[in-house]
Parts: sequence; C-alpha cells; structure tokens
Amino acid sequence: MKGNIIKYARDNIDTDVIIPGTYLKIHDYTELATHAMEGLDPDFHSKVKEGDFILSGKNFGCGSSREHAPIALSHSGIKAVLALSFARIFYRNSVDGAFLLPIEIGQDAYDGISEGDEISIDVSTNEIKNITKNQAYKMKPFSELIGKIIAAGGLFKYKPDQD
Amino acid sequence: MGKTLFEKIWESHIVVEKQNSPTLIYIDRHLVHEVTSPQAFDGLRQNNRKVRRPDLTIATMDHNVPTTDRTLPILDQTSSVQIKTLEKNCKDFGIKLFDIDSPNQGIVHVIGPQLGITLPGTTIVCGDSHTSTHGAFGALALGIGTSDVEHVLASQTMWLEKPKPFEIRVEGKRKNPHAVTAKDIILSIIKNIGTSGGTGTVIEYRGEGITDLSMEQRMTICNMSIEAGARAGLIAPDEKTFDYLRGREYTPKNYESLVDSWKEHLKTDNDAKFEKEFVLHIDDIAPQVSWGTNPGMTCDVTDSVPSPDEFSNGDPNQKRGAEKALDYMNLKSGTPIEDIKIDRVFIGSCTNARLEDLIEASKVIKGQKISSHVKAMVVPGSQMVKKQAEEMGLDKIFINANFEWRESGCSMCLGMNPDILSPGERCASTSNRNFEGRQGTGGQTHLVSPVMAAAAAIHGHFVDVREMDLS
Repeated sequence: MKGNIIKYARDNIDTDVIIPGTYLKIHDYTELATHAMEGLDPDFHSKVKEGDFILSGKNFGCGSSREHAPIALSHSGIKAVLALSFARIFYRNSVDGAFLLPIEIGQDAYDGISEGDEISIDVSTNEIKNITKNQAYKMKPFSELIGKIIAAGGLFKYKPDQD
Repeated sequence: MGKTLFEKIWESHIVVEKQNSPTLIYIDRHLVHEVTSPQAFDGLRQNNRKVRRPDLTIATMDHNVPTTDRTLPILDQTSSVQIKTLEKNCKDFGIKLFDIDSPNQGIVHVIGPQLGITLPGTTIVCGDSHTSTHGAFGALALGIGTSDVEHVLASQTMWLEKPKPFEIRVEGKRKNPHAVTAKDIILSIIKNIGTSGGTGTVIEYRGEGITDLSMEQRMTICNMSIEAGARAGLIAPDEKTFDYLRGREYTPKNYESLVDSWKEHLKTDNDAKFEKEFVLHIDDIAPQVSWGTNPGMTCDVTDSVPSPDEFSNGDPNQKRGAEKALDYMNLKSGTPIEDIKIDRVFIGSCTNARLEDLIEASKVIKGQKISSHVKAMVVPGSQMVKKQAEEMGLDKIFINANFEWRESGCSMCLGMNPDILSPGERCASTSNRNFEGRQGTGGQTHLVSPVMAAAAAIHGHFVDVREMDLS
C-alpha cells in the first residue's frame, strides 16, 4: 500500500473535528466526505487524494463513538491513519467496517515522516518505508484478531468458526 | 487472588473465550438512538437478519430532536428523516421506542436509569460514547460504533479484548459539597490523568469521595470516563443504588432477590489487583473551568489561563495543542479565569441535566436575573426530569431569571439540532466536550458544573461559587 502523507502534528485529534456533529444526519457518504476534517483543516477536502495517509500524534479519534469519523476519512480517499496512539472506539470502528487501517507508529516514524512524503506500508512485515526520504520504520503489529478482521474485510465478513 | 468488580461482571458474561484472542461477551441491554442506528438496521435488512432480542433493546430519540415546542413540525428535513427512520425501524423490528411525544423521551443515558432499565451487574451498550454513564450503577456500560450496533442487534453479543482494571480512589471530603460538585471531581481527575490516561481500561471509582455522592452525581463521574479515554467507568452498587432503582417503571419484579445477590457479588475483593491506580484528594479542590479544547485543558476557577509552556511540561505536541487551543478559544495566557466574559450558558446534556443538577443551579439564580449580555437555556435531560422540575416550580425560577426552559434532548452539547453557538460566542456549558466546533462552528466552550454555569449566567463571567450561599 502506497500513498502520500497529510500530517497533523498534534495530539488529541477528536471526532468532532474529523466530522462535526451537524453532518451526522447525512447518509450519503460521498457528501459526508466533503466535510471531513472541516473543523480542523478547511482545505482538507481540496487537497486529499485517493490513497493518501494521515499522520498524527497521540489519542487520535478521541471523543464520540460516531462511525461517521472513519467513514468520512475513508470516503475522502484516506486508506490509513498513522498515529502514536488511538482512542479505542475510533480504532475499533475503523477496523469493524474495514474503512481504513489504524496504524500505531513509534516516535521515529512520527518525527521522520513529513507532510507530502510518499510512504509504503506492508502489514505482513510491519514495515513502513519512507520512499521520499529513503528511511524505514516499524509499525506496531496488529493483534491476532484485528489482523484477521482486517484480512477478512471487516467484522461482518470475518467468520470466527473457520479459525 | 481476588477479583475486581469489572472482572466479575466480565466473567459472568463470557460466551466464547479462547487463548490469545478477544472474548465474545453477552449484552444484557442495548439502547438505541436515531443517529448511530440507521445504517445498522439497513445492514440487518440487507442480510435478512432479525433483531435477536428485541425485548432487550430499547430506543429513544435524543440527539437531533428540537427542544422547542413539540406540537410544531420539525423544520430540519434531515433531522425529521432520521427521526422517522427510527420510528420505522423500531416498528419493523419490534423494538420498544420512546418517541418524541412519549413522557419517557429523553437523553438515552438519563432515561435508562430513570426507568429502571439500567441494572447493576449487567452489560449495557449504546451507539454513543457516553454510555459509560450507566456504570454508576455497577453495570459494565460500553459506547460502540454503528458496526457493533448492528452486531449486537443481530447477535446480542460483541467481541472485546479484555480491558485492564484501573482504580481511581477519590479520598477525603469536600468542604462545600454544593459548590464543589461531582463535575469538579471528574474534571480534576481528567486534568491529572489526561485525555488518554484511561485508554484500554475500565475505571472503577472508589473511596469516600465517591460513596458520599448521590446516584445522579455518580452518573456525572462515570459519564466522563470516556473523556479520559477509558472503555468504561463503574462504581460498586450500594444502598443508594438499590434505593434509586426500587419501584421504577421497568425495575424487575424479583427486584429484592436481585438486590440480595448484588450485595453478595458486586464488589471488588479486598485482595483484588488493579493494573493501574490514581488517587485524588478532594478536601481542598476548587470548582473547575476548562480553558482549552479538550477536557484535560482545565484549571481551578481561581487560576489564570496557563501558558503553553506551563501546560505542556516540555512535550512539543502538547505545547502546540495548547497554542492552537488558546488561539481557537481567543484567550491569552495569564488571564484570570474569573475575568473571562461569557455570551451563552447551557445547562443540559447527559452529564449534568438531571433533577439534582437543576435544583442546585436554581439555588444560585433564585430571585436574580441573568446578565443583560448573556443568553441562557436549560434543557432538562428527559421529559420526566422536566415534569419533576416543573412540579417543584424550578421552571419558574429559571424563566423569571430570563433563562429559556426547553424540551428534553442532547441539544447544544453536540450541536446537531438548531441549538448551536454562533462563531466567536463563548459558552459556559455543563456538557462534557469542549472540542473545537463541538457546540457550533467557531463556538468556544468552557466546561463547568451546573452551579458554576448558573453563577456565570448571573454575573456574565466566571465566579467562584464557594463564595456564595448555596445551602
């Protein structure tokens, strides 16, 4: 998986800036996506490209349980969020619906990767490569079940009986 | 080795458990509202699934209902569609719904306990992060997203990696419990442990400072567990818990025998081990006011707005966050909190819109008028709270002080209905989140207790309510 980075160098990016409450009434996900990150970065919609990744600090996705948050990012084209840590409901929602990959990174990746860098992520080797800067970092591996749900394509496609 | 209360509830709900794998746990109660459920019901239809236990599923509409005259049509078309969709879904799937005209309508986390639906020792989920509120009754109550809502509707179970038990002991006695409230205790906790201090844990609140609290105050504490990042927060049930639930509309018929069993089982053993601990001493804590854009950015009412350096302790991300927060909040470091002027006051939300909250706030404003430049509203947490308050004449106290007295719902806590702040408006709010834009684009939120909000409404700026006679 390859893409370019949009970096928000701060902690506690909350669900209300990812998708403000007033848009939770929108059922059309394409329209919902036009408001993604509006609370924090009004230019997000115009700059995001299909396949991009977000990079941010600690506690990404804190706040509400709204699944609209990973959905809005996913329908904007975001394939993964790389963060120092995640709020658990956002993490779970991202995986459940196979909306995007929540990837926990270390300080080396957080410091090393800049806005616009081209990155490749290999979840089978847990390796993140910074193609722009010719650097490599390790991501925190997914737990066994999370890995299986991701591989299946979401909670409803995962069949535990077949384990 | 002994077990914590959380571990006991967890173990009694295991359906499937395998080594090195998450656990499938049974869900006793599923609360549903109009915003996070439509796609879940669509998913059931697409897969020809039914709701497995409609009898354990209860719905209401709270997030985007108008709080103005309910005999008038709903003007916001998208809200109206979501409300009608919930009505249809509940009808199609046989789920009990407290609709907009029901005397039981209200914020889902206010009506659950009020109706006796929330019970000790149970597992409760809802597509809302503030489900942690129900933990005040010794229930394991989890906020979930829409995929999990669908999973629970279809199977009455959910997969969960076992969270770690986290003990927060609240020690000591408040000198003025009318002025220093449960809200100030939980804001102090979050200020200390941070907004991710509870990540991956279930908090058990213990100690004299907790057992001293009423049930409604305990709900305020557990409600904001999620603001510390915790999966849930809970408090062991005691006589106050059992008294609160006795004789409510949906309290089980065999209640007294349940109480006997709860008394025996629902407590943390003396030799149980928590994986994390924090102690807060409350003898001298002050009323709290948030100054920034997350609930951890909070200080005493007698403090001044901190500088990003003071706040961040050398962490560059924290510093940048504080700078951004001050910029958004249009505040300067060093400004005394009591000098911050406010434009709006919101007394409402699942955190602080229960009867006791309204009683306490009414004491502050009785016989007074709100400041001429302030617009203020009270949004009771449920229709039942509203009715009880009106029977006590509280509505008149608020209306005479120039507060608006509204119908129940989530309202300005999250800005989904017309109750929002305008850009640049500054609000003293009894709600739970001060995130950027939470109460309306460009709106500036300060989290406070109901008495602090009421006092700010009267004075037009924050004041230390310990200096007032609130007895």
